Amino acid sequence: MSGSNNGNQTEIEVRGLNLWYGDKQALRDISIDIPKNSVTAFIGPSGCGKSTFLRCINRMNDLVKNCRIDGLIKIDNKDIYAKDVDVVELRKRVGMVFQKPNPFPMSIHDNIAYGPKIHGAAKKDIYGIVEEALKSGALWEEVADRLTTSALDLSGGQQQRLCIARTLAVKPEVILFDEPCSALDPISTSKIEELIMELKQKYTIVIVTHNMQQAARISDYTAFFLLGDLIEYGKTDQIFENPRMKQTEDYITGRFG
Amino acid sequence: MSREKYQRNLEILKANTIEMAVTSLDMVKKATLSLKKLDKALAEETISMDDIVDEHEMMIDKCVSDLITLQQPMAGDMRLITSCLTMAIDLERLSDLASNIAWVTLEVEGEIADIEPLLSRISAMGSIAEKMLEDTIVAFQNSDAELAKRIAEEDDKLDKLFFENEKQYIEIMNNNNTIISDASHLLFVLRYMERIGDHVCNLCQSIVYMATAERVKLN
Repeated sequence: MSGSNNGNQTEIEVRGLNLWYGDKQALRDISIDIPKNSVTAFIGPSGCGKSTFLRCINRMNDLVKNCRIDGLIKIDNKDIYAKDVDVVELRKRVGMVFQKPNPFPMSIHDNIAYGPKIHGAAKKDIYGIVEEALKSGALWEEVADRLTTSALDLSGGQQQRLCIARTLAVKPEVILFDEPCSALDPISTSKIEELIMELKQKYTIVIVTHNMQQAARISDYTAFFLLGDLIEYGKTDQIFENPRMKQTEDYITGRFG
Repeated sequence: MSREKYQRNLEILKANTIEMAVTSLDMVKKATLSLKKLDKALAEETISMDDIVDEHEMMIDKCVSDLITLQQPMAGDMRLITSCLTMAIDLERLSDLASNIAWVTLEVEGEIADIEPLLSRISAMGSIAEKMLEDTIVAFQNSDAELAKRIAEEDDKLDKLFFENEKQYIEIMNNNNTIISDASHLLFVLRYMERIGDHVCNLCQSIVYMATAERVKLN
């Protein structure tokens, strides 16, 4: 199926995307337009292909053995699977935050400084970049007086915001979140959700979540995947109030099984 | 089917709403009949039924709160739940109006023969209101948006009769000042019948939303 976002400016354009792990097809003919400066949620049962699809958007699947892809993904109108694309540069433009916070075993400051440094930021600019990223990641006030302490000493929620700040430090255009709150308590979750809603002013956000209420709360658009197919894509209020497809209704009302 | 308890609770909510609507319909029928026959005992019985309706409303309110807080309903389920809640409010008000009609039965002092022209007009309005409410229960049971829209169109008949009857009542009062006291009570009944029609329209709006997610104004 194909999904349109009703005319908003498209940041990520996907056409006829198919993906196989060996002989097994994991995504089937996915076409979707993901709008700029919005939050788009991917929902669906485990194994439906939503995380696989998310990982196509910054070519993380290149690292998976036996993974084969055809179809088109354009970001900001540029084919990200074109031969001349520098994958490291792509992953700078398309940042990713994972399910489990994964800070580097180094100080808070160095976690944030790491990306800008390897991308060639000048030494004199680093402190400013760290401060700005931590502020944008809603963590600055909690860590400003202990930037040199280990990031591993932070709480789970703080570590996740650190990972978001680390992503922001290299100034991406798109941020992919793969179940970013599934290991967090409700308070940390609500901080991350508020942060995501703020970040969409500057970035295009795609989030995979198993938490239906989270998708409903924070996303502007929702895409429902099932067994490798994109079943339905639309504005979040429409999907959760009046889904057009019976499979979507059955999934979001918990009638699968 | 998974979520059996959830499914069961949704069915209980729907059954409670139907029961409340059936009780309200019964009240409208009994109130109209009590007035037609000036049957004071039947009027008393109608008024006492108001407590049953209030209990239904509280039960529906609790069902809805429990479902929303404990089950996080979505999509068609959520539309059913919010519709039941708004329908319970309309049914409660509609039943209050039936109760008011029964109170008028208790107030009337004259004999049937004295006020027959007034009573027959009320009966005609009552029949329309009863049929509308009866059909509304069917539309709700079957999630039938088209039927709900057709029912609401019937409300025009009640509005028309209200205006016509109001004029005629005043004319009758002018011609026969011995029935002014009863007629002035019965004037209120015309208004109550007309208002019952409005609440039925609101019920139909809820049914259309439940069935289609379309928000319509039918009143």
